[in-house]
Amino acid sequence: MKRRDLIGGGVVFLFGAVTAVLSAQMPIGTFRAAGSGLFPLCLGILLMALSGAYMVQVFWSEKRPNEDGTSAAKEEGLSLPVIAFLTIMAVATLFLHTLGYAVVSFLLMAGLLRVLGLKRWPLNVALSLVTAAASHTLFVYVLKIPLPRGFLGI
Amino acid sequence: MLESLQHLATGFGVALSFQNFFYCLVGVVVGTLVGVLPGLGPIAGIALLIPATFGLNATSAIIMLAGIYYGAMYGGSTTSILLNVPGETASVITCIDGYQMAQKGRAGKALAICAVGSFIAGTLGIFGLVFLAPPLAEAALAFGPAEYFSLMVFGFVVLSNVTGGSFLKSLMMAVVGLIIGTIGLDPVTGDGRFAFDSPSLLAGIEFVAVAIGLFGIGEVLVNVAQPAQTLEQKVIVPRFRELYPTLYDLKESIFAILRGAGIGFGVGLVPGPAPVIATYASYMVERKVSRHPEEFGKGAIKGVAGPESANNAACQSAFIPLFAIGIPFAPPTAILLGALLIHGVTPGPMMISEHPELFWGVIASMYIGNFILLLLNLPFVPVFANILRIPKKILLPLVTLFCLTGMYTVNNSTFDIWMMILFGALGFLLRRWAYEGAPLLLALVLGPKLEVAFRQSLMISHGNFEVFITRPISLAFLTATLLFLLVPLLQAFRKRLRSATATA
Repeated sequence: MKRRDLIGGGVVFLFGAVTAVLSAQMPIGTFRAAGSGLFPLCLGILLMALSGAYMVQVFWSEKRPNEDGTSAAKEEGLSLPVIAFLTIMAVATLFLHTLGYAVVSFLLMAGLLRVLGLKRWPLNVALSLVTAAASHTLFVYVLKIPLPRGFLGI
Repeated sequence: MLESLQHLATGFGVALSFQNFFYCLVGVVVGTLVGVLPGLGPIAGIALLIPATFGLNATSAIIMLAGIYYGAMYGGSTTSILLNVPGETASVITCIDGYQMAQKGRAGKALAICAVGSFIAGTLGIFGLVFLAPPLAEAALAFGPAEYFSLMVFGFVVLSNVTGGSFLKSLMMAVVGLIIGTIGLDPVTGDGRFAFDSPSLLAGIEFVAVAIGLFGIGEVLVNVAQPAQTLEQKVIVPRFRELYPTLYDLKESIFAILRGAGIGFGVGLVPGPAPVIATYASYMVERKVSRHPEEFGKGAIKGVAGPESANNAACQSAFIPLFAIGIPFAPPTAILLGALLIHGVTPGPMMISEHPELFWGVIASMYIGNFILLLLNLPFVPVFANILRIPKKILLPLVTLFCLTGMYTVNNSTFDIWMMILFGALGFLLRRWAYEGAPLLLALVLGPKLEVAFRQSLMISHGNFEVFITRPISLAFLTATLLFLLVPLLQAFRKRLRSATATA
């Protein structure tokens, strides 16, 4: 847990450092007439200071920092179903314009249902079809929101 | 006072028009559903429905979105009582005695007292809003950029302090949110920042994408990561005839409801996740004043009535700083600020005079919404309980599809969906690593305002930082901020000193 908190603090510190470096390349100006880089530069430095203080606190603390009532996690990173879930969403987004909303929403539902354990394909396909048709009708015909039609034109 | 009542009457005229009444009804029903469904809280719920309001006028839009917020407070208790799973964080405390009551066959009574308590507290909260917001807005006319800057800093520090978990981590998240808020065009000079020649980034990060990502997709992913067997739970469905409180129940609970309303209203006025804090505070108070504290945790009706009333009152009073000063103190009201800005309304001291129909119409709609919730919620509890029977393996893909579609409709852009996915993954990791997402979202929404206030203050004072301490209101906020920063440090130091003395 301590190692995980140190890594977390380190990532935030790095984010602050990158912000500060990139901001320093923008016009800084003076406090009287601040340039566009001044505010993010101050924020980057502040974030580095806060994350630095946090890492010092974690390093010197005897008990694990999450014992103070926060919801401590049992697992650390992204698990396999979560990665699969995110990948399916990303692929759906990638092909949204090419395949169109109707097809993508069907494939997205089928993929996500499969990841979550709906293994019977007939039920999976039926559910995905109904959901895709219902959401297409709701957004396109009821709410009149234009959604990508794809090469099939639907 | 009489003037406020006259304005309120006008507000009822606005809220009772067919269109506004309809959107109020839609808002509270959707809000109840959002509250009922674990995995979708009021923040993601409001953010998701913003695109659906684009065709509406500002008043109807805010009436509907506000309805989702307070409707979710009603709905959240349903899952807590029937399933022992809070629908949203403000209902965590209700699980303790609510589920115990359900286990003893008193689920109907618990749900009924929740609805009645929420109605009474919501009504009292609205009256507070009517009489407190206008004078506060008048007082806020004295605020300059320095006061706004100090108030926002105070808000971030208090929110980080009370959100729960590590104070430093929450503060870090607020600064990360402020940094993300700087992406895009500089609000003063118009220069591009952190855009890397991308036109999408130059337009800034869409706050709706962050809200849906952190609180919608992030929550879905947390559920996905749970072992398959915990995705299905047993639901206790109360019978319709059990869904009314007896006179004895009401007598038992009335003072708890009134105390909860008072606590909730007060807590809603200060920065932080007001409904959550209010429920904890109310529960503690009820246990303390009770003649039978041993009953708490075993199905005490006061342990349900107090907190549920508190979260509704807090929800209503949270609108006071948003409408009167233009500064939201909690993420749901921050999303509402974004929605108001999208509809061309700038909340703040001038809003009441510039958009009276919106201000008074929304307040009146809250009263109507509370009444609708009281009438609708109890008869429909069996329906909501049956919705909970939909397996999560079907519910989670549905929520995801809705998030994806809703996100696309904001700007018709897949870039926003990519941002939503990115912030969804981030939200999941933040939850896993015990970081709070709320300060990040609030900071993202308030970031541009904070920067403009900071730069304007220094411009006015010719670069002199004394402007923040020579103006009395600003000084008061900064002193309070300092106290909030120092008190936890001193407490930690005292604790260490004590443990060191004990071991020696």
